[in-house]
Amino acid sequence: MLQDVISSARADFPAGASSELRGQLSRSRQVVLLGGNVVANQRADISGVSARVNRGGSYGFSSMAELSPEAARMVMRAAADNAAFMAGHAPRGQAALPRIEHRVLPLAADISDVAQSDYIDFARAVDSYITAHCPELVSRTVVAMEDSMEKMIFTSDATDAHFIAPRSYIYVMMTALTPEGAPVELFDVFGGEGTFGVSFTDAASLSAGIDRLYERLMQKRAGVYADAGLKAVILGGHMTGMLSHEAVGHTVEADLVLGGSVAGPNLGKRVASELVTMTDFAHTAFGARCPLPVFTDDEGTPAEDAPLIENGILTGYMNSRETAARFGMKPCGNARAWSFSDEPLIRMRNTAVHPGRDKLEDMIASVDDGYYLLSSTNGQADTTGEFMFGVSLGYEIKHGKLGRALLDTTISGVAFDMLKTVDMVSDTVEWESSGFCGKKQPMPVGMGGPALRCKVMIGGR
Amino acid sequence: MERMMEIGRLILAEAKALGADEAVCRISESEKREFNVDGGEFSLMRTLFDRGVSITVLKAHHKGTVHINRFDEEAVRAAVRDCLAAAESAEPDEAWEFAPGPDEREFRKGAPECDTEALFARTKELMADIAERHPKILMEQLICDHNARRSVFMTSGGIVYRTVAGSYAFMLMYSGHDGDKATSFYGSEVTVDNLDRPVIECAFIDRELGAIERQLDTETLEGKFVGPVILAPGALGEIVLNTVAGNFLSDGSLITGTSIWKDKLGEQVADPRLTVSLTPSAPWAVCGESFSGEGYLSEDFDVIRDGVLQSFMLSQYGANKTGGRRALNQSGNVCIPAGDTPLAEIIRGIDRGALVMRFSGGQPAPSGEFSGVAKNSFLIENGEIRTALSETMISGSVPDMLTHIRAISSELYRDGNVSVPYIAFDGVTISGK
Repeated sequence: MLQDVISSARADFPAGASSELRGQLSRSRQVVLLGGNVVANQRADISGVSARVNRGGSYGFSSMAELSPEAARMVMRAAADNAAFMAGHAPRGQAALPRIEHRVLPLAADISDVAQSDYIDFARAVDSYITAHCPELVSRTVVAMEDSMEKMIFTSDATDAHFIAPRSYIYVMMTALTPEGAPVELFDVFGGEGTFGVSFTDAASLSAGIDRLYERLMQKRAGVYADAGLKAVILGGHMTGMLSHEAVGHTVEADLVLGGSVAGPNLGKRVASELVTMTDFAHTAFGARCPLPVFTDDEGTPAEDAPLIENGILTGYMNSRETAARFGMKPCGNARAWSFSDEPLIRMRNTAVHPGRDKLEDMIASVDDGYYLLSSTNGQADTTGEFMFGVSLGYEIKHGKLGRALLDTTISGVAFDMLKTVDMVSDTVEWESSGFCGKKQPMPVGMGGPALRCKVMIGGR
Repeated sequence: MERMMEIGRLILAEAKALGADEAVCRISESEKREFNVDGGEFSLMRTLFDRGVSITVLKAHHKGTVHINRFDEEAVRAAVRDCLAAAESAEPDEAWEFAPGPDEREFRKGAPECDTEALFARTKELMADIAERHPKILMEQLICDHNARRSVFMTSGGIVYRTVAGSYAFMLMYSGHDGDKATSFYGSEVTVDNLDRPVIECAFIDRELGAIERQLDTETLEGKFVGPVILAPGALGEIVLNTVAGNFLSDGSLITGTSIWKDKLGEQVADPRLTVSLTPSAPWAVCGESFSGEGYLSEDFDVIRDGVLQSFMLSQYGANKTGGRRALNQSGNVCIPAGDTPLAEIIRGIDRGALVMRFSGGQPAPSGEFSGVAKNSFLIENGEIRTALSETMISGSVPDMLTHIRAISSELYRDGNVSVPYIAFDGVTISGK
């Protein structure tokens, strides 16, 4: 657990400015088994202190790879100097930020650690299961990993907090050959919030998921190319999550709105069918704990849900304290930093479309000629809302019934156009939380949603 | 530097005392100064003091690796113990191998000292130049930094490599705006070892800003056709070079046997006009790699020469696993010599095709087949750029494209990391709505 050796530097918070001081420990463990060989076996423990000062809208930041009172005072002074340099060389003349009620949120739980051998043993057990039960593979990779962070935040005009954010996963990647000898891949992820030792105690608990992955890969290797063009599709919950995050979420981050995103001129306007409601959840969604809950951000703003789209109308952005003041909105705790040496940026937390009333079976049965798309390899989107997702797992739908699996393809479109075509929404939400969002810094995020029936461009061969 | 040397010696001694057969460590200190512009306004100045200790040990062919960022003796000793424990729990693999020593060298690269006032002045000048030359560009984010690094790399075999290096980097993320019209965003960047020239004149920054301004009015292609596509340097990297490196020539693809080029050494895999090299010693490569992570001194080498596959991109580990040969460096300093046709002439020779600046696509399949959106791209008709494109997809096969090169431009893009031309390929599927 982080010991407080930095708070004495609060004495150096400069007058007439808004200041933050953060001590942080980031921990990562990773074991990679490639074809049964341990090709990566790593542990990292990275700690340090950082300070940020806002003087008239000009921010100064400094960090040091050392957790000590001396380091805290040094970065505090350097951050103040940098803010003064910017205020002198490129003044912005902004008013002081609205204060946030000062509270102290103490640590709720500690982080436990397990030996590296636990990661290796678990990965081996998973690998053994795969070799015994998945005979047609030409390649297999098992990754056991954890990344966690512990932060201690002190502010001049907001909330102080001490919290942890651990998550751990098992990745399984499989490769098989098509009848023509071309390799096809599929992967799945198991895990979520929590440390490795708590989340993974029995490799047998993954067996059903591995069996399902292998079965789907066997279907995929006999799969067909999608017929390119604008098609009726059912996006599975994971695909909806990707869409929520990449194609809509980024465009409604207030810093990207200021950078010219499509959400700027669309606030208050219809951007989706009335069946679509979307929220960036802080810590609780639909009555349950979010995949990666956030209770306070790194500016000392207590976290609450950020409504984005309500019944198809764009209603809000995600903000830092600064952008919230500029847009006249309330900051909801979206300003988050990855490493001790990173400044807070506006980031998503758990972004999801709300569930509807339709049953997935009815949705599939309603499609005469289209596709059911379940998994994405990656996704990219533009500030215009134009998006592209790689589709690693999907099936044809013919006359209301699932058909052959698809080989790798892509879907693309413009989010605010495509969301207007949504005419059925399933009643079940699926979440995903294993990836990193990339935006100057990486950041763990959760994303999810129900299945959506809509029209989208699908790539062919 | 002496403090880092002491830590290195402590790590090697401690590892040996704990029974390691071999140990490798890298101890580093860095200082970064950075200016940020957000939404067209200066917003932030950062100063980062960082340090790192990476330790890898081999014990009876078991390998472990640990990273920490503390220099105090207690933390370093604990990290070595942790590293041995990690190794002891790993499976043995006789393929791990580090460069033999002894060897002692010093490397000094780039611009180790930061001129903060000059960096700010060049950043401010860049903003002014863009406002004057490209008034329709909105800078979403501009990050300008100087990164100074000092490091010591030591092995139990007697290698001691000391490095002092520094460079300036400018990363621009922007889009074009005119009233309600907006373009896709685009990123330009350059790494330099001096601030002698205005930033807008470096790499293709001015050219790319101008191209984005011309993308405010777009058309969506109707239907689809198979034709020539010119890949600008960025898209060339995203579609072709990353696929070749990752899917065909990397450790992972060759160890698992999924590489479709695993039996192609010495064979023609591309048009005879194409040569691809990795050249960290080239004058344009800013702070090019001096030695690999396994401790081997870096030498330039040809991956493909005159269209013939010369070398995989294997580490020593990958070489040992596959019975292949270690590549002579692990850098990303791709060098493709210029062709003899100016870009304008390549465009004049195309009846119907596309010029693609950026590719937004799924990770290409192991076979090299890809499909994705052609971002920041233009439709070419009757030898002229006719319009910018929106919602247009391209798909094809990287190995097929390499044997169907139409032309290589005489213009070279140099951003401090790579030196590559535009390349036009035949047989790419271009599809709209």
